[in-house]
Amino acid sequence: MNIAVCVKQIPDPAAPWSLDPSTHNLVREGKLILDDSDAYGVEMALQLVDKAGAGEVTLVSMAPRNETSGLRTGLAMGAAKAILVTDDQLAGSDALSTAKVLAAAIATTEFDLVIAATESTDGYTGTTPVQIAELLGLPSVSFAKKVEIDGSVVKVDRQTEAGYDEVICPLPALVTVTAGVVEPRYPSFKGIMSAKSKPVVTLSLADLGLVGAAGGAVAGQEIVSVQKAEARQAGVIVEDDGTGAQQLVEYLEQLKFV
Amino acid sequence: MDFRETEDHSALRKAVGDIADQFGSDYYVAHAESRTPTTDLWKRLGELGYLGINLPEEYGGGGAGMTELTIVCEETAAHGNPLLLLLVSAAISGEVITEFGSDAQRSRWLPSLADGSSKVVFAITEPDAGSNSHRISTTAVKDGDGYLISGQKYYISGVDEADAILVVTKTGTDSAGRAKMSLFVVDADAPGLTRQHLPVSVTLPEKQFTLYFDNVRVGNDRLIGTEGDGFKQIFQGLNPERITGAAICVGIGRFALERAAAYANNRTVWGASIGTHQGVSHALAKSKIEIELAALMTMKAAWLHDQGEPAGDASNMAKYAAAEAAIGAIDAAIQVHGGNGLSTEMGLLPYWGLARLLRIAPVSREMILNHVAQHSLGLPRSY
Ligand SMILES: Cc1cc2nc3c(=O)[nH]c(=O)nc-3n(C[C@H](O)[C@H](O)[C@H](O)COP(=O)(O)OP(=O)(O)OC[C@H]3O[C@@H](n4cnc5c(N)ncnc54)[C@H](O)[C@@H]3O)c2cc1C
Repeated sequence: MNIAVCVKQIPDPAAPWSLDPSTHNLVREGKLILDDSDAYGVEMALQLVDKAGAGEVTLVSMAPRNETSGLRTGLAMGAAKAILVTDDQLAGSDALSTAKVLAAAIATTEFDLVIAATESTDGYTGTTPVQIAELLGLPSVSFAKKVEIDGSVVKVDRQTEAGYDEVICPLPALVTVTAGVVEPRYPSFKGIMSAKSKPVVTLSLADLGLVGAAGGAVAGQEIVSVQKAEARQAGVIVEDDGTGAQQLVEYLEQLKFV
Repeated sequence: MDFRETEDHSALRKAVGDIADQFGSDYYVAHAESRTPTTDLWKRLGELGYLGINLPEEYGGGGAGMTELTIVCEETAAHGNPLLLLLVSAAISGEVITEFGSDAQRSRWLPSLADGSSKVVFAITEPDAGSNSHRISTTAVKDGDGYLISGQKYYISGVDEADAILVVTKTGTDSAGRAKMSLFVVDADAPGLTRQHLPVSVTLPEKQFTLYFDNVRVGNDRLIGTEGDGFKQIFQGLNPERITGAAICVGIGRFALERAAAYANNRTVWGASIGTHQGVSHALAKSKIEIELAALMTMKAAWLHDQGEPAGDASNMAKYAAAEAAIGAIDAAIQVHGGNGLSTEMGLLPYWGLARLLRIAPVSREMILNHVAQHSLGLPRSY
């Protein structure tokens, strides 16, 4: 069982973020870290390979400036190798460009399953994974809250608004996992030390044959303007003088929640 | 000169910080308030190889050094979970047994120190021998194929959590009348050894004890290194103890300033955030500078120790600077919080208590100043 996991390296959410005033793109100048929402995918993949008893986990990432800090976190957790696509022409890429790049990178390695997060913490587009599946001609199952491999199929409990669907899908396939699908492990010190001797293959747009087909120059999407979110209004405080429950119900009725 | 942190060290910082964050400062404060050990965090760090990071790989350790142990101490503290017993168990006992223990002794103690399944705490202080350890009177007397230990130690941390204690004893007197020392690993439940809880008013998860040794029998296999060489041998552990103590202080300082800056940015008293007032911001800026300087010296001391270079001066200076900086930072943080700074819910006081302790222990501020005056400045010995 070989699994490719798409991982995004993002600016540390704990540090202040900023948008470039002209492009409105997120400023990614500092050190990047592994997106927390991808740690679930890495963990899921490690557990599935472990259960299968053979195979390995490959991380696939697109990031500026040969950034590998986030990849090292995934390698320290136990992934065997990483593929990093880095190219100045990729600055300002839209979701489709990113999907093309990741799909081409995934195609350079052997895989039975591709895992991605449902969406990234810094972009929240949530479209890249299914685009990758389409480009690779794979079936895709999104919003997995439980994933199991059974022979040549993957069985997924897929989160829905009403509950969950039980989906059985032939392999190879792409699955997007929700936060909480599994509890990501913390890297051990041995894991950290072994991560640096694990291979990280760095590829450019030219290596993938995608010059002119992906990147900022061919982005079909543009951020025209950005508005600050409206400051939140102070909430309503209900003091319970015995009618508190009644007041709450009336308030919720007014909002049409009940 | 290269001040950039290596990728390994950044990854180590992040991993340890994340683990401490998972527990959170509330976890530490609750355990400090109830005086119960933070065992779950200790176990977690042990399983993942962070407690034995400085111990040799062949005994289950991480094969790294004091620099890495310093990072573990600093990051746990910076994320609200300082671990006082790292000073004694990982730094002193770990280093001394590694350096002077026989193969059998290392095999016996180091693997369980490394994976966090046991602790070996450290006992040198006596009622009549604190700063002046030459005056210790706990004696070990040769008896058959072992020794009998008698005497009293006090303020010994973590005995209730430990499997064994590295005990500094007197096995003779030199020509100047000073104790000739020898080190023994004594089981915490050895017959003849009794312990009594010694309450302290700083809120710590770790408890202190008075230990009474009444002819406690230990085999020759419990003598670490050479009889009579104990004083020289503990020096191998005392620098690491000071360096890790400094690291905890740097962590406390970072933790305090992060809390203080967040509060100063949010709290409004006169229409603008209190951080606007220089009376508030300068106090934090000053502490920030002091913490950064102490962090640099701490790293230098750890580096010197790892290089096998003399690290005494740097370790002492780092410990002094970091304890002073930490007390300043946590005091400033408390002040920024106003009345809330003293609330149990805000949970700042336990960190002040620990920083305040680290001005006294493992070596007091005054003894460091004595050392610097005499050894770095060539001034006359004052005592
Ligand atoms: C919470 C806590 C935990 C501890 N844990 C441990 C432990 O695990 N193991 C252990 O062995 N010990 C432990 N200790 C003991 C600690 O290391 C000692 O308290 C410390 O070394 C100081 O010794 P003392 O208390 O005997 O002070 P003293 O030596 O009596 O000194 C009293 C004061 O006089 C000053 N002074 C002494 N000599 C001079 C001088 N020549 N010039 C100027 N000033 C001087 C000192 O700086 C100090 O301020 C702990 C103490 C506490 C409070």
